Amino acid sequence: MTDRTLRPMDLVPDELDAPFWEGCKQRVFLVHRCVACDRAYWPASTCIDHGSSAMQWQPASGRAEVFTYTVVHHAYDRSLADKLPYAATVVKLDEGPFFHTDIVGCAPSDVHVGMRVHVVFESVDDETVIPHFTPDTDD
Amino acid sequence: MTAAGIGGRFAIAGLGVTEQGLRLGRPSRDLRREALELALADAGLTRRDVDGYIGTSSEAFDDIRHLGLAPGFAYTLQSGGATATLSILNAIGAILTGQASTVVCMYGVAISGGTARVDGSKGGYGTFAYGYPRLYGFIGAGMTHALHARRHMHRYGTTSQHLGAVAVAQRAHAALRPGTLGYGKPITLEDHQSSRLVVDPFRLLDCCRDTDGGVCVIVTSIERARDLRSTPAVVLGVGTGHNMRNWWTGDVYDLHDDIEPAKHKAFGQAGITVDDVDVAALYDPFTISVIMQLEAYGFCAPGDGGPLVASGATRLDGAIPTNTGGGQLSGFYATGFTAVVEGLRQIRRESGATQVPDAQVALVSGHGGNGGIQNTWAHATMVLGVDR
Repeated sequence: MTDRTLRPMDLVPDELDAPFWEGCKQRVFLVHRCVACDRAYWPASTCIDHGSSAMQWQPASGRAEVFTYTVVHHAYDRSLADKLPYAATVVKLDEGPFFHTDIVGCAPSDVHVGMRVHVVFESVDDETVIPHFTPDTDD
Repeated sequence: MTAAGIGGRFAIAGLGVTEQGLRLGRPSRDLRREALELALADAGLTRRDVDGYIGTSSEAFDDIRHLGLAPGFAYTLQSGGATATLSILNAIGAILTGQASTVVCMYGVAISGGTARVDGSKGGYGTFAYGYPRLYGFIGAGMTHALHARRHMHRYGTTSQHLGAVAVAQRAHAALRPGTLGYGKPITLEDHQSSRLVVDPFRLLDCCRDTDGGVCVIVTSIERARDLRSTPAVVLGVGTGHNMRNWWTGDVYDLHDDIEPAKHKAFGQAGITVDDVDVAALYDPFTISVIMQLEAYGFCAPGDGGPLVASGATRLDGAIPTNTGGGQLSGFYATGFTAVVEGLRQIRRESGATQVPDAQVALVSGHGGNGGIQNTWAHATMVLGVDR
């Protein structure tokens, strides 16, 4: 599913998110958590109540719910033409933050708000592992 | 001076609008040059009267050289589709603090041909930082606004036909407005429903198109404006909001804009309620934008925006005529200046066949700065009025 011309660190502003993408290589989905108040964030953030001193990357459940999505029928870039149609999706992680992703393992037309999903990892190459989300079997 | 005291003390004294359209074949700075000269002529001012310059689409430094200006300050402001109203707000601030008396706010770009606005290759998601969603094929403003539309449909039962009603109503306005993309070309709901899906739920006719064009407005005090050639449009109030507030609460997809604080400030300065608004010029890159803003400003209850538009309320004979120049959807896309121009035209009685008779108060909105981890960040509201 992934556009293989792209690597995560080509797309994020700096190395502050690197631990997340390193975690993906270990098949671990991380969130950035303020251990002072236990609030979880994604991407790399500064707690709105406690600043940066208590922020840590911590493993998350990898479980989430589809919050909103759009089924894309138009290739905004040539590299995406073969992928159409696809469900560009925002999930709400069980830990709280939103995460932009896509839904694999079901037809785009089956994606719906509130659908329970969990993370699956795709090895693009030796250096790149991308998280996707797929429906829970009992949804 | 209290914030409420600002309302009514400043005015738009000059308006310059060039040809707006697809692939005009003119350099951006030539569009800005023409817009400036039109605005100066409108106000009866000369280049030497301009003592402040706020650019919104270019580097201000070289712009003022090319334009032949010698202001006391010049800078570029960029906050997406909120920039237009924010430039007027900053102009007022400059006048209030004694930096200038006559401030030019300038827009002018040629974006519809040549270079694509959306760089789908690397490093970008609508060219803004934070591009990891691009891994999953997120590109551009259509998808981000579709995320709002999907939530609205899920929460309230809003339909594609409701979205289509926005497109049809605005095209009806544009069909009567020379110089717009939709001039002489009305559409039906059937046309909307048969246009191709782009980013579901948006069909082609739910989306605006980029156009080329220049816009210049000249901001000054109400006293000075009364001495100038054109009819002053009074800035009754301005307010700002920012969707990061709603990002932290998780409400960002359910609230298209952060309108509440902006409305509170702008309406407070103007001393008005929503019932006093005679005509609305809302930022409308996609049909859902109109529906959600009508709700947020209080023209109807949350969730009722689709039925409100479908009832004809935004047409000329409706309760709240909206985007009477066709808006961005069917008029032209000058980012936030599309709405500013139409608000001014209504107050100046220059809206022709879609003039709202005796319009006293016009509501103008702008939002933008989308990309990366979320859609639209900045918001600005402005209330314009007739000088009494």
